[in-house]
Amino acid sequence: MSTLENKAVNPAADSSKFVFVKMDKDRTEHIAAPKYSYWKSVFRQFFSSKVTIATLIVVAAIILLSIFQPMFSGYDPVAHKNINDAATHFITPNFSNIKYWFGTDSLGDSMWDKIWLGSRNSMAIAFIATGITTVLGVIVGAFWGYSKSFDKIMLEVYNVFANVPFTLVVFVLMYILGSGFWQLIFAMSVTSWLNTAYFIRVQVMIIRDREYNLASRCLGTSTWNIIKNNILPYLVSVIVTSVSRDVPSFISLEVFLSWLGIGVGEQVESLGRIISFNTTYMSGTPYLFWIPVAMSAVITVTLYVVGQGLADASDPRTHM
Amino acid sequence: MRKYIWGRILRSIISIFLVTTIAMIMIYTQIPREKIFKNDSTYTKLGGDADAKTEYKYTKWEKLGYLDFVEQKDMCAVYTGSEYNACMEVDSDAVKTIVQDYVNKGYTSAVYTKNGLAYVYKDKPVLNIVWNFYHNMFQLDNPGRVTDPDNPNLERKVYAGKDYAGNFAIMCSGCDHKYLLYFDGSFPWIHQNFIMFSLGTSYPTYDGQLITDVIGTGQGTDVMTQKTFETGQTSKSALLLHSCTYKQTSTLDRLDKNKFNDNYAYCSSQKSDPSMISQSMLFGTLALLIAYVLSIPAGMSMASHKGQLRDKIGTVYINFMIAVPSLAFIFLARVLFSSLFALPDKFSILGAHDVRSYVLPIITLALLDTSSIMLWTRRYMIDQSSADYVKFARAKGLSQREIFTHHIMRNAIIPIAQSLPSNIILTICGAVITETVFAIPGTGKLLPDAIKAYNNQMIVALTLIFTALSIFSVLLGDLLITWLDPRIQLVDKEGGAV
Repeated sequence: MSTLENKAVNPAADSSKFVFVKMDKDRTEHIAAPKYSYWKSVFRQFFSSKVTIATLIVVAAIILLSIFQPMFSGYDPVAHKNINDAATHFITPNFSNIKYWFGTDSLGDSMWDKIWLGSRNSMAIAFIATGITTVLGVIVGAFWGYSKSFDKIMLEVYNVFANVPFTLVVFVLMYILGSGFWQLIFAMSVTSWLNTAYFIRVQVMIIRDREYNLASRCLGTSTWNIIKNNILPYLVSVIVTSVSRDVPSFISLEVFLSWLGIGVGEQVESLGRIISFNTTYMSGTPYLFWIPVAMSAVITVTLYVVGQGLADASDPRTHM
Repeated sequence: MRKYIWGRILRSIISIFLVTTIAMIMIYTQIPREKIFKNDSTYTKLGGDADAKTEYKYTKWEKLGYLDFVEQKDMCAVYTGSEYNACMEVDSDAVKTIVQDYVNKGYTSAVYTKNGLAYVYKDKPVLNIVWNFYHNMFQLDNPGRVTDPDNPNLERKVYAGKDYAGNFAIMCSGCDHKYLLYFDGSFPWIHQNFIMFSLGTSYPTYDGQLITDVIGTGQGTDVMTQKTFETGQTSKSALLLHSCTYKQTSTLDRLDKNKFNDNYAYCSSQKSDPSMISQSMLFGTLALLIAYVLSIPAGMSMASHKGQLRDKIGTVYINFMIAVPSLAFIFLARVLFSSLFALPDKFSILGAHDVRSYVLPIITLALLDTSSIMLWTRRYMIDQSSADYVKFARAKGLSQREIFTHHIMRNAIIPIAQSLPSNIILTICGAVITETVFAIPGTGKLLPDAIKAYNNQMIVALTLIFTALSIFSVLLGDLLITWLDPRIQLVDKEGGAV
């Protein structure tokens, strides 16, 4: 209060006390805000939870084992090397038995080898299908939300297929295409991208007409550049959320379809196939059945937890 | 609003039509037609008889609409007596010229490998099968339908009268069905046969049965009750007299004549167990009821104690249920509950008439449904709890409990109610895994079984049924929320005020 009054009383200050400063180009560019890097904040947030880190370690171990174990085991799902050696059939899991410490099944195949090859294929199917669904869904969804004329056509297409039960589509497609690895991926992604696209469309429509996008458009920025530079960065957390939901649900779907006998074929090992093959041994030698079931549950639960952690961390609102 | 609903219905029908047609075209062009015999026991029984197998295959294909098939005996049917016999010789001149005629018309000619007789066939376009499917879907029963050369004096009329039990009924002579409209004690008490709905005939599983019958009529063994027939004969019989359809005079036997005065002697039977649809719906709705009763209060309680222990436990439960594959959960639940409560782990052990058969599958199904209902109840209630009306209610001095149960709940329940119709209606589609694991004879198992058996007709019919149900249940859900909450408008009002 007093300083203000002083200023008012003495407007002409002693000019010798002041020095002219040259304009500093770097400084003028500096905005007075704390340093913020999106991805740094995402990772800081992500690694702040102990549960997430623990699950991430489990996920990493599972992924690494399922990539490398089948490379060195030399296990071939159709060879059944020990089929004529009855002594190797139905060996119960035993930690002291290094060769078969998850036991062997009715054909003498090592469950340890089977599980990892199965996990690899199940996860590969889920990851590839999620990749296709997400890439296609995000690209189409971004244009769909941005362009009003494209919206009209796409809405009609969406209305025709949106309410058809997803499992029905996959069932019928698997019937038509026949069972197999790539067939399953195709059947899973062929309609699910439409849902991702619709999900993205709604998000894009929310931010499409914000002022900064309007300004970009006035300055003549192309649609593609607006989508790429202005809109997509906004959608990162939404996309991560969608991916984190898709991967576990595709794994569950693979398990379900292969268990019914319409998923991957006889030639391909997968968790669903192993469960399906061993369902008959559920009462006699239950480990054959419960090991792959537990494995599928562990994989989906850990992936889901990590995915949720990543989705939460990628939401800028949690970075405050 | 009415215009909007009609528009939606029209779009829904177009949608169903498109999806079914695409499925049908893909199935009938992509599935090799040889495959349908893979699980046909009649075909397998023919063994090494190559000619019989060929004839069986082509006859079946003709029946299913794949092709047009003409055998030597059909070609020679234009002749009679000795000329017919001469024509029926292998490689006879008469048959050669007829075959040539067919070949000129685009047919392919071939001979049976063993007896050497000729036959021709011509593939029909897929659209033929598609057309037949839609053409036969709705048929009007009328007095001119029956053609029976042995019964030229058949009266052709529709008349009102009394049925065998003395109730009012509209009956028909000359139609397929004897009773066009009748009343009885079973839901929905009033039944009609004017319009017959058909989705084709099942093959190779449930061979020869109408698909609507496979899904909709009772299962199990015949239930015999004392019945008095129109001739006055009383005997123990399972026949459902309201279901009787016309039987050709040439096939009527003495037993039929003892029971019936007319030709309407082809009746379906009273069965001991519910149909696939009622079985699935019974399980589904009971499970759904339990799921709603459990999870709405649970979700509410989580929302009102947000961030506290019960919210955290609930969130862990929800995430666990979402992440674990249903297959793993169902097997786990079956083992756990069956050992805990000493209940049968298969439906077939005690059958459809024992309550204990229902407990395990219903608990399992209900638990599967809880996670999403809990999740959304919690989410909507938390979203609502920061609204202005909540602050106002709090300012008025209402208790937290009153605010949650009276104010927030009524708003949060609306989006939950939107999925109610589809949840109920889609129980018809059955729960595939639960029904397979517990060996329940419901509709859920039907589609995977049909796929394994190459039952194309069944797959097409189920595609149509499931698509139609899910599309219309979404519409019903939308209508339900506009009724619950008048603020919601499905149509943009003129002038833009929404």
